Amino acid sequence: MTLKDMKPGQKAKVLKINHGGNLSRRLFQIGLIPGAELTVISQHPFKGPVVFELGNATFALGQGVAGAVEVYTNENK
Amino acid sequence: MAVVMIGNPNVGKSAVLSRLTDRPLLVSNYSGTSVEIIATQLKSAGKTIDIYDTPGIYSIKSASAEQQVISELIYSQKIDLILNIVDAVNLERNLVLTYELMELGIPMILVINQIDRARQMGIEINCQLLSQIIKSEVVCFSANTGEGLMELISLIEMKGNKEGKDKGAGQPVTIIKTKFDGNSCNGNCAGCSRSFLEIGAEDLKRAEKAADTARMVTRQTGSQSKKWMNKAQQIIDKPYLGTIILLLVAYLAFLVLMKFIELSEGPISDLLAPVNAVIEKVILTYLPDSIFTTILAKAVPEGLIVPFTIIMPAMLMVSIIMSLIEDTGLLPRYSVVLERVGSLFGLSGQAVIPLSLGFGCRTPAVMATRILPNQQQRFIAIVLLSVVIPCAATLGILASVITTFQASLPVIIVTMTVTLILIGYVLSHIMPAEEVFIYELPPLRIPLWSNLWTKLKMRFSGFFTEVLPLLLVMSIAVRALIESGLLNHLHSIENITKALFGIPAEAFVAVLLTIFQRYLAPLILLNLDLTAREATIAISMIALSLPCLPVMVMTVREIGFKGLFKVLAIGMSTSILVGIILNLILP
Repeated sequence: MTLKDMKPGQKAKVLKINHGGNLSRRLFQIGLIPGAELTVISQHPFKGPVVFELGNATFALGQGVAGAVEVYTNENK
Repeated sequence: MAVVMIGNPNVGKSAVLSRLTDRPLLVSNYSGTSVEIIATQLKSAGKTIDIYDTPGIYSIKSASAEQQVISELIYSQKIDLILNIVDAVNLERNLVLTYELMELGIPMILVINQIDRARQMGIEINCQLLSQIIKSEVVCFSANTGEGLMELISLIEMKGNKEGKDKGAGQPVTIIKTKFDGNSCNGNCAGCSRSFLEIGAEDLKRAEKAADTARMVTRQTGSQSKKWMNKAQQIIDKPYLGTIILLLVAYLAFLVLMKFIELSEGPISDLLAPVNAVIEKVILTYLPDSIFTTILAKAVPEGLIVPFTIIMPAMLMVSIIMSLIEDTGLLPRYSVVLERVGSLFGLSGQAVIPLSLGFGCRTPAVMATRILPNQQQRFIAIVLLSVVIPCAATLGILASVITTFQASLPVIIVTMTVTLILIGYVLSHIMPAEEVFIYELPPLRIPLWSNLWTKLKMRFSGFFTEVLPLLLVMSIAVRALIESGLLNHLHSIENITKALFGIPAEAFVAVLLTIFQRYLAPLILLNLDLTAREATIAISMIALSLPCLPVMVMTVREIGFKGLFKVLAIGMSTSILVGIILNLILP
């Protein structure tokens, strides 16, 4: 499951980033690293960005980026 | 003594600066990039301290434009002290940058900003313990309440007094030890180019250290108080409702801009008229009688009217609107809700701000493209503003010309919309940018007035120093061109214009005249005897052509002469293509 498949209100932990180079560096800089906990706030329509809380900050990622963030939830779905 | 303020985006650096110095004296921006560095002076205890406020960065080890400007600043200005501003609410992430900065070996004070907000959220931070851990001074600070201000000022003064002793500091210090020894490197080795892209062991160690430190000094007391601001934020962050609200705000900004220009134009014109009469008289009396004097006597007063009556109030209002939208935290939210729409044009959602302001007046709208995330986006937005978006003045006159000749409004609207989409689409494919959409959404906040004032001064000061002088020079050049009679020779090209665009040569002259003043060009059409079909083609060609003189001046200021030439080339070819295509498909 990736960040882009999550529903608003769902919590998850980051498993890994399926992308190298610059992208994973930028995600690293905002604190999106394996083990980090996040909560999805909203999924924008028409394959728009995913808005989520990480720590005490709010971020938005485009679908392409969100699809590279593999997560796992406790709900075992 | 020189102090530089560095921190993550959205930590309130500018707000800290406003608190420190009640009166900013020197203000500058780095033109050619969207990177603005505010230089201010703080006078305390008989000493002058230069303070540089830099744009937010997550790391000094990335290859972004912001990072480059900041590195340049650190090395060129002989920085004596770094004020690392961190957000108390997001300590863990902010401390990663702190650990990077410590490696520079420059004396540093850590300013934990928004400590009041952290307390509201039930986060307690032990600043003393943090100070012991990182071996630098730490100040718990709130730009909102002024907490920690005296402590910070006295710490800066103390560092200033030690200035002599500390000179020669700035040798890199190893904080994070890894196998790769960065100290013996000139910055061009394989290790460094790798570290720009990939996350190295040193980065992970730094992140780990930051997380450990944050955990040690933070305590969650759990008393979360929700304020009305959080409620407002929840509403704005809802996908559909938020989009509607944000679009309404953009529309409101446009209305305010229009009203402001309308209200200020009359009084300013009245004030300017006698001044211009005097200027004309002075030029005619004191300069020797020649063609040049005649040109100057006409061109100087002419050249003052548009800048003062329209550009000045518009720039002022747009500067206010830009700062408000930035400082309330609304700006990145536009990117989020309009990401899909914007991607059609190769633009981020933030582009809706400059584009909608452009319908009011395009000159300051070109300046407003500074809020876009990269140069490629700025260029596309400037092209769309210059070539496609009609300003209020253009719209008014176009409307009157359309009714006079009963030209086809639907054809003109469809032509303009299709051109808008095509230009955006083609440009974004010719010059693709990295498609990485990562935005931090800051909490909504009420802007600090002092902060707004600083930004307003910085953005508006360009009117007198750059825009006005350039406009005057260009206005003189245009007047000289008209007086020279060169334009009259264009009649000989009647055959060509008829064959290509199906319009008479005079109408084509009007198209060319858009360079000088776009909204004057349609007036020339009014004096001609055109059929509805000819008028439709000519109006479309005028509506989709070159930017007016003030827009060109602003474009040079923002993206340089090279950028302007590209814009002009695109505008001219668009206009010609539109003429040819309409001539072919219209019955």
